[in-house]
Amino acid sequence: MEVIKTVDLTKKFGSFTANKNINISVLEGEIKAIVGENGAGKSTLMNMLYGLLKPTSGEIYLRGRLIHFNSPDDAILNGIGMVHQHFKLVPSLTVYENVLLGVEINKEVSIGNKKFKTFKVDQKQELKLVNDLIEKYKFNINANAYVKDLSIGAKQKVEILKMLYRNVNILIFDEPTAVLTPQEIEMFYETLRELKACGTSIIFITHKLGEVMDIADSVTVIKSGEVIDNLLVKDTNNKHLAQLMVGRDVLMHVEKKYKDYSNASVIYEVNNIKTKNKWGLNCVDDVSFNIRQGEIVGIAGVEGNGQSELVDIISGILKVTDGCIKFNGNDITNFWPDKLRKNKIAFIPEDRYEQGLCKEMTISENMIAGYHDSPDISKYGFISMKKRLQKSIDLINKYDVRVSKIEGLISSLSGGNAQKVIIAREFSSDPDLIIASQPTRGVDIGAIEFIHKSILDLQEKGKSVLLISSELSEIMSLSDRILVMYKGKIIGEVMGKNATREEVGYLMMGITHSEENTNG
Amino acid sequence: MDRKEKLNSLKYSIINSIIPILIAFGIGAIAIILAKENPLSAYGTLFYRSLFNIKGIFNTLHFAGPLILTGLAIAISFKAGLFNMGIEGQLLSAGFVVAVMGNVWGELPKTVLVPLLLVVGVLVGVIVAIIPTMLKAFYNVNEMVVTLLLNYAIIHILQYLTENTFRDPSSGYVSTPRISSNAIPSRIFEDYRLTTFFIVAIVVYVIFYFIMKRSKLGFEITALGQNRNFAEATGMRIQKKIIIIMLASGALAGLAGAGWMMSEKYAYTLSFSGIPGLGWDGMLIALLGSHSPIGILIAAVFYAVVKTGSSNIAIFTSVPYEIVILLQALIVLFLSLKVFVKPKELKLGEPSVPKKRFKNLFKGGKE
Amino acid sequence: MNLDFIIKVFSDSLYFTGPILLVSLGGLFAYKAGVVNIGLDGMMGIGALASALVLFYTGNWLIAIIGGIISGVLIGLLFSFFGVTKKANFIITGFAINLLSTALGKYVLALEGRTDINVIGTISNLNTRIEIPLIKDIPILGPIISNQTPLVYISFILIFVLSFVIYKTKFGTYVRVVGESEEAAKSVGININKIKYLAVIIGAVLAALAGYEVAINQLNAYTADITAGIGFIALAAIYCGDGKPKTVAIYAILFGLTRSLATNLAIRIGSIAGLLQIIPYLMIVIVLTTVAIINHRKSLYRGFLDE
Repeated sequence: MEVIKTVDLTKKFGSFTANKNINISVLEGEIKAIVGENGAGKSTLMNMLYGLLKPTSGEIYLRGRLIHFNSPDDAILNGIGMVHQHFKLVPSLTVYENVLLGVEINKEVSIGNKKFKTFKVDQKQELKLVNDLIEKYKFNINANAYVKDLSIGAKQKVEILKMLYRNVNILIFDEPTAVLTPQEIEMFYETLRELKACGTSIIFITHKLGEVMDIADSVTVIKSGEVIDNLLVKDTNNKHLAQLMVGRDVLMHVEKKYKDYSNASVIYEVNNIKTKNKWGLNCVDDVSFNIRQGEIVGIAGVEGNGQSELVDIISGILKVTDGCIKFNGNDITNFWPDKLRKNKIAFIPEDRYEQGLCKEMTISENMIAGYHDSPDISKYGFISMKKRLQKSIDLINKYDVRVSKIEGLISSLSGGNAQKVIIAREFSSDPDLIIASQPTRGVDIGAIEFIHKSILDLQEKGKSVLLISSELSEIMSLSDRILVMYKGKIIGEVMGKNATREEVGYLMMGITHSEENTNG
Repeated sequence: MDRKEKLNSLKYSIINSIIPILIAFGIGAIAIILAKENPLSAYGTLFYRSLFNIKGIFNTLHFAGPLILTGLAIAISFKAGLFNMGIEGQLLSAGFVVAVMGNVWGELPKTVLVPLLLVVGVLVGVIVAIIPTMLKAFYNVNEMVVTLLLNYAIIHILQYLTENTFRDPSSGYVSTPRISSNAIPSRIFEDYRLTTFFIVAIVVYVIFYFIMKRSKLGFEITALGQNRNFAEATGMRIQKKIIIIMLASGALAGLAGAGWMMSEKYAYTLSFSGIPGLGWDGMLIALLGSHSPIGILIAAVFYAVVKTGSSNIAIFTSVPYEIVILLQALIVLFLSLKVFVKPKELKLGEPSVPKKRFKNLFKGGKE
Repeated sequence: MNLDFIIKVFSDSLYFTGPILLVSLGGLFAYKAGVVNIGLDGMMGIGALASALVLFYTGNWLIAIIGGIISGVLIGLLFSFFGVTKKANFIITGFAINLLSTALGKYVLALEGRTDINVIGTISNLNTRIEIPLIKDIPILGPIISNQTPLVYISFILIFVLSFVIYKTKFGTYVRVVGESEEAAKSVGININKIKYLAVIIGAVLAALAGYEVAINQLNAYTADITAGIGFIALAAIYCGDGKPKTVAIYAILFGLTRSLATNLAIRIGSIAGLLQIIPYLMIVIVLTTVAIINHRKSLYRGFLDE
């Protein structure tokens, strides 16, 4: 039986169509995967099903009944729940308090035969209900623990419990494995199977095809806001899905010339660096690698394995507790960001609007940030407005940034164009080394091509690049050498020219060659 | 921004500053009616005597001097996303020390003593600001709470010192000895109260304006105020910038305190800074005037008009002097709304989240 | 030092603690809900003004209390409307309310041509202090605890009542959740604005009651500087105690004691005793710094970017 069916579901934001005539159906008790690249429109679709967004046109049917949700509350009342990628839990409350948040049970007292509600929350009763639920779904989690003390996998379970407690029988997961470790992913699969066995229908959004093959029953491929295909998992494979997802293989158009860099001089050297996060855990643990002149080194890995912290160290905003970093033979360990830039290292940060750009400032102000004391625009500590504007116009033209107003705010630009502002600023500083972290995250395909081409152009000029990305295909198509990060360590190195997805994929899951051999 | 847009945004910031003033004056009119006076004629008195004759204008400018500085002191801390609520305490401390030293060093010639005391005021302002500054820069301690509450500690300490250690026994009320006449900056025109201190205030304002608007430092401070992560990641060393801006803010407050002491009060009394206090007046001026380059100047002069005018109101009508505090409170209140009108801006598609359904808070149970 | 003096110090410290406790216990709701309310002092002043005026014109203390409460609700609504609904800057709105309180007080007094609103005549028939039977006969403790105003006792009872509300009821949980994670609150359909409004209003009403206590019961007269900074001392107590009712109460009691010492010692050691009054303000610096140092000891991020 179809539990959810959409008919020509369309969502427009202004002139931009995020979803166009989407037709999908989800069967009772099945696990449905929705796959697509970043920005393909998966989240928009899910937000419509969950009542967070209202469709521009089209219909949603729930068990054959036409529905209109005004809010997530409506969706939950109708049995549709969602587990977001970023958990919405309260760290200082316990597991059971989080599960019953918003639907607390008040203690009752009986006087004679009459029952009265008191103001006191009935914690005993709540704990019992949650424990029953945990038992039913075999969740193996302590209902009395504080959420702040839980692992990420356990937090995800709390989110699921929240939904199950509200009698949800259709669960939507938004990129559920992005933040999980490989072991936790295994456990998450277990959870999904358990839920399925109890009759829950599951929809999960992902861009990792391995997961689709592992756990889903059926799959819908979305590209540029449209459904490309609906398939049963048993009738398809990784490669086929990848082709559908990307359409034309964009990355194939990047012409990458592989060279042998083993004799080139080492310009950047990271030796045994370590650092701790605020919980005192070693999130970067004894990492060493080097980059040679003219080489692109890629760092692959499932997100949350220490890549962000590694980039923060390299960018000078996180200090190391141990180890050293050398650039052109000079020790630059724990240098501040401004000194790193003076040493001709440029940065494309992971979080565009947090570290890369200032949304509230103008395009031209952002174009000079970090290089605002370069002699071509400033003298004696004062910045020339005229030269700043001229530089900005030059860069906008050179890097093809589409702006409506030259002096507009960054927030008026699309993601791709905003990213181009960073690229223009950093590349034009004539760096010897570029640290590019997730350079194409959330940008459109045109911009991806442009950014990839820019990176390769830079390499042509003999510059070196460190590329950190969770998009394996990006790493594979650009890197001369691929390092894989897992649990804060570099666990393997593969040459880019002859790397295979499988090989890197295994490393990303923490399986090294020796284990692979012993296992089989 | 092109010229048209600049004009447009200027138009909106003017409107956004004037609307709160109009609302405040509107509500103030009710208070004036309660005092059994005609609001229009009362407001006429308020503005006429301080704006429409030479003496009034110079008087107004005389009072505007310290207000420009305290307004600037708060405005630059706002610009960096910081809340220096300690302007009042810094100003009082500077005023007190200058009063004491202006008496002790009374023998020094005017040309030496006046600049020296201004420097002392600046230094005292900086010293008082050091503790909250360092706590903010090194440990990220909430500077708003610390600076706000330290004011009251400073007030108690200064009260004790004025009542005991430094009390002028010959004075009939609690006061420090009067500063030497060598410590008083000369008048610009013989017949009017305006002193050279006003010129100092203007020069300082212009210097700060250029630093904030055109310099690398100003650029970095603006970035810090908008997005701390961005500022740090692009190498702007926010810790240093926090220290610079908080201490500069203290220095301006100190200068204002010194100037007020030397050009107007001549001795430290418990009501040295008035009610609610020059530092707090700076808050109103910063809020009113931070939209545009000369905004703070205009706001300071405007507020000085209201302040000098209010004593005229009290003399010539039955409306109490306190009307000015009431107007100030109302203006600040409505200014806190930030914007009444907004220029239309083209925004890219952002998903709109529908409003949550009303849920009864105390209605319990599982749904 | 003799016994009478010690009894006087502690008895007075309860007397001073009452209003501080009322304001800080009320104010901690807004603090917990993530709303910085520096306008507590002004809310207290406006409460004092309202109740003094009502009492002056009606001569009925009950109506005066109700008048005070209504003024608290109104000023709380005003603050919330600006700060929560209109998303104004809380700090500036709070600052404006402090100014407004002084301004209204001064203006009203100036209009009436007086320096205070004296209510001694109107309440002379009212015994504002309660003697507790049995307890009043206990040596030493009796004279300290007994013979305080009702609001002092109420404020101490409120420590436990409000602690229960914050930790054991739905509303209290929601207040904490809204302050800690608006995202989480939103995702389960909690009406964030409503919680913030209520939290602010609770603070405003208790502050107004503290205003009544000081103006009517303690000093029998309203003056424009009636609060004597109690709202700011309460703010210090709230921040020192991180909004936890019992910890906040301990600081409030401590600050009440320093006030009592400052007043009582002045007779013996002179005006230097007045410097004891700076203790609450120094305490906030020490406590906030200590907490910050402990929290940041481990941070390796520059500019505290991991927050």
